[in-house]
Amino acid sequence: MIQAWRTFRRAPARIITSVLALALAVGAMGVFAIPAVSTSSLRDAAERDGIGNVFLITEDTGDLDVAALASVEGVERAESQVLTWPVIQSTGDDMTLLGVDVDDQQMDIVNVDAGRLPTAVGEIVVDGDVAPIGTEFVVRDGSGVSVDLTVVGIGGTSFWEGDGLAFTDIETARAVSGIEGANRVVVRAESGTSESELGDLATALRDSLAADGVALAELPFTIEDGTHPIEQDIDQVSMLIGFLGIVAGVVGLVLLASTTNTLVTERTREVAVMRALGGTPRALRRRLRRIALAIAAAGVVIGLPLGIAISNVIARMVLEEFVGLTPGLAVSIPVLAASAAFVMIGARVVSARAARRVVGLPLAAALRDRDGAPFGQRWSERVVARFRGGALLDRVAVRNGVQRRGRSFAIAAQIGAAVSALLIVASMATTINDFNAAELEPWRWESQTYVVGPGLDIAADAADGDARSETGITVEGATADWQIDVYGFAPETAMVDRSVDAGRWFTPGADSSASGRSEAVVSRGFAERTDVEVGDVIEVELWSGDVEYEVVGLHGNRGREVYLDRSELASDLGVPEAANRLWSLDQHPATQLAGQTGVDLYDDLDADDSGRQAILTIFGAIGVVVVSVAGLAVASGLVVNVYERRRELAALQAIGGRRRHVLRMVWVELLGMAVVGIGIGVVGGYLGARAITQSFESSNAVEIGFTFASGALPVVIPVVVAGTVLLGVTTVRRVTRRPVAETLRAAA
Amino acid sequence: MQLRDVTRVYGSKQNRQLGVDRVDLTLGRGELVAVVGPSGSGKSTLGSLIAGIDSPTSGSVVIDGQRVDGLKRDKLARWRGQNVGIVFQDFHLLPTLSAAENVELALKLSGASGSKGERRERARRALADVGLGEKVRRLPTELSGGEQQRVAVARALVTEPRVVVADEPTGSLDQQSGHEVFDLLRRVADRGTTVVMITHDRSLAAAADRLVEMLDARIVRHTVGSDPSDPIDVTAPAHDDPTTSAGFAASPMEVVS
Repeated sequence: MIQAWRTFRRAPARIITSVLALALAVGAMGVFAIPAVSTSSLRDAAERDGIGNVFLITEDTGDLDVAALASVEGVERAESQVLTWPVIQSTGDDMTLLGVDVDDQQMDIVNVDAGRLPTAVGEIVVDGDVAPIGTEFVVRDGSGVSVDLTVVGIGGTSFWEGDGLAFTDIETARAVSGIEGANRVVVRAESGTSESELGDLATALRDSLAADGVALAELPFTIEDGTHPIEQDIDQVSMLIGFLGIVAGVVGLVLLASTTNTLVTERTREVAVMRALGGTPRALRRRLRRIALAIAAAGVVIGLPLGIAISNVIARMVLEEFVGLTPGLAVSIPVLAASAAFVMIGARVVSARAARRVVGLPLAAALRDRDGAPFGQRWSERVVARFRGGALLDRVAVRNGVQRRGRSFAIAAQIGAAVSALLIVASMATTINDFNAAELEPWRWESQTYVVGPGLDIAADAADGDARSETGITVEGATADWQIDVYGFAPETAMVDRSVDAGRWFTPGADSSASGRSEAVVSRGFAERTDVEVGDVIEVELWSGDVEYEVVGLHGNRGREVYLDRSELASDLGVPEAANRLWSLDQHPATQLAGQTGVDLYDDLDADDSGRQAILTIFGAIGVVVVSVAGLAVASGLVVNVYERRRELAALQAIGGRRRHVLRMVWVELLGMAVVGIGIGVVGGYLGARAITQSFESSNAVEIGFTFASGALPVVIPVVVAGTVLLGVTTVRRVTRRPVAETLRAAA
Repeated sequence: MQLRDVTRVYGSKQNRQLGVDRVDLTLGRGELVAVVGPSGSGKSTLGSLIAGIDSPTSGSVVIDGQRVDGLKRDKLARWRGQNVGIVFQDFHLLPTLSAAENVELALKLSGASGSKGERRERARRALADVGLGEKVRRLPTELSGGEQQRVAVARALVTEPRVVVADEPTGSLDQQSGHEVFDLLRRVADRGTTVVMITHDRSLAAAADRLVEMLDARIVRHTVGSDPSDPIDVTAPAHDDPTTSAGFAASPMEVVS
C-alpha cells in the first residue's frame, strides 16, 4: 500500500488521468450490456403483461366464439379484443382505444399505476400523458355515434406505445366502434412453440377463421414465447453502439500502455540499482507489473459503476423512445466481468512488455541511463538524424517523434479515435438524413388520406373525376422472411415516380407476364439483398394468404416495397374494387372520403426527423464518451511527452531558448501527430460509418446508401488542431514555469 | 559582476533548505574564478545564480550594470543566450542533435548574426577548437563522456559570451584533456570573458585568478591573486576532495545535505 502511494505521489496527474480514461473506457464498454439490460426489462414487461404469441386483426367476428379457436392444434388460449380509433369530440384528435375482457384478461393485461381498472361501460384507463383520472371525453365513431368516456385509471400494457392510447372493457369498445364481436384476436400458443411453428399456427388460425367466414384485415403478427417484439431492434442498435464502445476500450488500453511504459521506464535506474543489489528479474518484473495492475484496478473500480450507469441511461433512452417503457436498474454481470477482465488482462500484457524491456537492459547502461533508450541506437533514428533540412528546432521535434515513436503513434491513434468517433456520428447523421430524403423522394403526392382502421374501406372509384387524386392500397406483406410494404397503384399512376432501374413498370392483366402471374415491381436494394432479379417469381404473404408475383422491374426506392396493380392487389386481398388510400397532388384534395379519416402530408413527413434524432442521441451519447476517453488519453500522452523531456527543454532554455522556441519544438511534433491522427481518424471514421451503414443495410435488407460527412471535416480538423495546440501550450507553460536550475536538478 | 547579499532558499516553509546564504561576490571582467567546496556547500547554486538559470530568494545579481535577477523569464533567457555560456557537469546536450547542431543551436538562440551556413561554419570551428573537428556529425550517444563535455564547452564558448559558468568542466575528462579545457577557459578569460569554474580539482583551482571556497551555503574564503602563469602541477591528485560536487543537476536536498 505504501509502495502504491509512493508511486502515485510520483506522478499523480498522469495516474489520475489514466484511471479516469480507463474508467470511462470500462464505462463505455458497458454499452454491451444494453441488450441484456433492455431485454431484462422488456421480458419482465412481457411476462407481467402476458404478451400473446399470435395477433390477428380481423373483420368483425360477429357472433363467432373466438375462445373456440383454442381447439386449433397448438393453441392454448384465444381472447377477443376490439381495437378502434374514435375521435375526441372536443379536440378532433384520434384516440386509440383497445377493449379487452377486463374480468378475464390473460393476454395484453392492462395494469394500472393509479386508480382502477374499468368496471362499467364508459370507463377507460389511459396513459399518464393523456389525461388525469376523472377526465371525461365524448368520442364518436365513423358513423357519428357519440359515447361518453371517463378516465378511472392511469396505466396500460407494454405491447402498446404511442400517443392517445386508452384501454377499456370490450363492451365499451364495442359500443364506441359498432363492432358486434371482435376485430382483434390474441392467441397464446402452447409452451415451447418455435418462431417458425408460430408462422404455421398463424396460417392455421387464418384458415380456421376463414372457414367461419371471417377474413383478416392485416397480416398476422407473431411473437416468440417470453420475448418482446422490439428486442431485435434494440439488439441491433446496441451492437452498433458497441462498436464505439470497443473503440473507447482500445483507446483506454493504449493510454494505459503509454502510462505504464512511462512509469516503468522512469524506474530504469531504480530497477538497475535493485538488480545490482541482487534483485531477480522475475521479482522486479512482478513489481513493475503491479503498477499497471493497480491503475487498471482503480479504473475498473470507478468504471464498473459508470458502465452500469451508462448502459442503464442509454437503455432507458432506447426503451422510452421505442417502447415508452421506463425500465428499472439492471446489471449484466457477464458484461461487467468481461469489461473488467479486458482491462486487467490488457494491463497485464502491456505492463509485462515494458517490464521485460527495462529489466532486460544491460545493467551498466541502465545504471547510467536517465531517459530510457538513448537516441541514435535504432536504424530509424540514425536515418532521421542524417536528414538536415529545416530549422534546428524542427529537426529536434521530428527526431523526438521518431525516438518516442510508440508514444507518438499512440497519441496519433488516440487523436484518430476521437476524430473517427466524431466523423462516425456526423456521417450517421448525414446518412440518415439523406436516407430519409431518399425514402420519400419517389413519392409525388402531397397528401395521403385514409379511413382510420384496418381493411380496405375506400371504393376504388372514389377519386374518379378528380384528375389530381387517385385511390390506392398500402398493406403489410411478407416475403423471403422479410416484412414488406405492398402498394397497389393505378397502372399509369402519377403518385409515384414510375421510372425503374431495371426491367419495366408493371402492366395489369395476368396474360402480360411470361409466367401468367400478376406483375410486380420490387425495391432494387431489397431485391439485391434477397437475390431477386427481374423475371423471378416471388411469393408474397398477404393477410388473405400467399400470392405469387412475377418481378418485371426493380425500382430505386430505399424501402422493402412491392408495387402492384391496385385492382389485382385488391382482388388478391379478397376485397375487389376496394382501396385504403386516397393520394392527391394537393394538400386538400377535391375528393372527400366518408367516415373517420386521417391525413398525412408529404411536407410533414419530410420535416419529421424524430427517428433521426433518436438514433443520433444514442450514437452521440456514446460518441461523447469515446471522445472524452480519447481526449483524456491525448492530454495524458502530451503531458508525459513534454514531461519526459523537461530536462532537455530546461537545457534549451539555459542556453537562451525562450518559451516560443520550446513551443515551436513541441508544436511541430504535436502537429505531426495531429496530421497522422486526423488521417487515421478520417479513414477510420469513413470505414467505421460505412461498416455501420452496411450492417444496417444487411440486417434490414434495404439500401440505405452512405453519405460521408465530409462537411464535418472543416470543423473537426480545426477543432482537433486547435485542441492539440492548446494542450501543447498549456503543457509547455507548465513545464517552463519552473526555474531552469530547479528543473535540471529535479530531472537529475 | 556583483552578487549582493544573495540568498537562495529551497523547499517549503516546513522543509527550508538553504542553497546559498547571504553571499556577496564581485567579479571583474576577464577573471577566471574557481569555486570549490564540499558537496552541498552551495557551489552549484552559486553557479546557477550567476548563470541566470536560477533566481535569488533575496539579494541581487548585477552584471555589467544590469540587474538580471528581476528579468522576466523570456528576457532572462534572451540575456543568457547573448551573455552567458554554461557548461553543465552532465553536459545537457540535446540528445537528438549532432555535436555540430548542438553548438549551432546555441548560436541560433543567441541571435548571432550571419547566415545559416556561417553559423554552421562557426560551430565547426568551435568544435575543432576543442579537438572534435572530426566528430561534428556524431550524436551525443556516439561520443564518449569526455567528448560530450567538450561539445558542451564548445557550445558555451561559441557565442563569445561575457560570462562563462562551468560546472565541473573537467570532471569527465582525463587529466590531459582536463588541462586542455582549462587552458581553453583561460584563453577565453584572457580575451575578457569572466569565467566561473566550479570544480573539486584543487590543482586546477589553484591556477585560477581567484579562489572562492564555500561551506554550508556561505563563502568562507576568498583567495585572490593566484599567478595564472604558474605551471599546473599535473602530478597533484586530480580528485583530492572526496566529497565531490553534485553539480547543477544535483537535487536541492543533495546540495545542502
